[in-house]
Amino acid sequence: MGVSIVPTLRVLKPAALIGVVGLVGMFAGYWANATFFPGTTPVQPINFSHRIHAGDFEIPCQYCHTQARRSISAGVPSVNKCVGCHNEVATDRPEIRKLMNYWVNKDPIPWIKVHDLPDFVYFPHKRHVQANIECQSCHGPVQTMDVVTRIAPLQMGWCRDCHLENEVQHGQDCLTCHK
Amino acid sequence: MSFIDQFAEQWQAYRKPGYYDKFDYAWTMTIDLDRCTGCEACVTACQAENNLPIVGEEEIAKGRTMHWIRIERYWEGEYPDIKLRFIPMLCQQCDAAPCETVCPVSATYHNQDGLNAQVYNRCIGTRACAVYCPYEVRYFNYQTHHWDTPLDQQLNPDVTVREKGVMEKCTFCIQRIRLAKDTAKDDGRRRVRDGEVQPACVQTCPTEALVFGDRQDPDSAVAKQLNDPRAYRVLEELNTAPSVVYLKKVEVDAGAR
Repeated sequence: MGVSIVPTLRVLKPAALIGVVGLVGMFAGYWANATFFPGTTPVQPINFSHRIHAGDFEIPCQYCHTQARRSISAGVPSVNKCVGCHNEVATDRPEIRKLMNYWVNKDPIPWIKVHDLPDFVYFPHKRHVQANIECQSCHGPVQTMDVVTRIAPLQMGWCRDCHLENEVQHGQDCLTCHK
Repeated sequence: MSFIDQFAEQWQAYRKPGYYDKFDYAWTMTIDLDRCTGCEACVTACQAENNLPIVGEEEIAKGRTMHWIRIERYWEGEYPDIKLRFIPMLCQQCDAAPCETVCPVSATYHNQDGLNAQVYNRCIGTRACAVYCPYEVRYFNYQTHHWDTPLDQQLNPDVTVREKGVMEKCTFCIQRIRLAKDTAKDDGRRRVRDGEVQPACVQTCPTEALVFGDRQDPDSAVAKQLNDPRAYRVLEELNTAPSVVYLKKVEVDAGAR
């Protein structure tokens, strides 16, 4: 004589339903979060436009991001760098007044990082800049952006694809990038 | 050959100890026990360099210590005719490492520099590698440790702060090796020069008992020490092919014992 599974199933039915609904809800929530709140375009303290600086006036990236070719981090320019020009240029605009407030108060501008890598990743900008990789290949067409948006996924597979393509020496070894 | 067969074959190759034998650099350390005074400066240096937590009294009582390099003590004889011997013990970076073959997620593997790599963000904390390690040099994070201010300001930014559930061990200061390679590239050199890389323990050793370098370079300081007749490897009979070589302590009355 066998044991019937039917009573068990009857009891488990609500639990299974809750499970399925929960799972669907999770996926829907994930999708909605990724679509409507991607977090790739943070609102910056000063409405700085890369389109005007890098696009219209064609200031080279490394005029402001001076550390990119020498250091691990590309470096956000100091307020000093901004004021170097804006002491004279466009001093009457409201955004420049904001900048001068930071300058007078001797505060750094609390920029929000757009391309933020996790703590366990070692990404030296200098290696990539010295290998003549265009800034735009990771950062997107920044010179056309009024507000900087992250376009690259910054996932490991995306890094590895480029390393494979360019035949980087030991580019597939974990310890090349992970620390 | 189907994808699954190919995967199985590669996996089996990885399961065999000593699967990596073509090294770019072969980083090696020699430890001269004649020079070692057991001062534990290396232990402190390692702690500072690699963001090691102070696990605390309670954890240590449970045997959950966290020292990537430690000085092992061996007492010989009965009081008052007693003798203390010690040996610094760190990850031996075995070329045929037992720990690598057991990891189910390949979080530990051998790389082209002869290093026994540990990828923290890949580790799922089975602790199997610690069981397989004959040298007992793998340490598990049973807790997420915190550094109170201002101590968190002294954390090394080049080294990840590990969290609960992650296995960790000596890396031969991979961040310094990486930096030296970066510097070499900036200078337009292809190879790192001998003596350019020094792990924290080697740098701090007051008696210079520890020497670090590439054993494939015959002119390096470490390669010369390998020819010393005192050289031996710990638990050599297990065929783990360690990259840490000890130079035996010479005693006057060694023959009388």
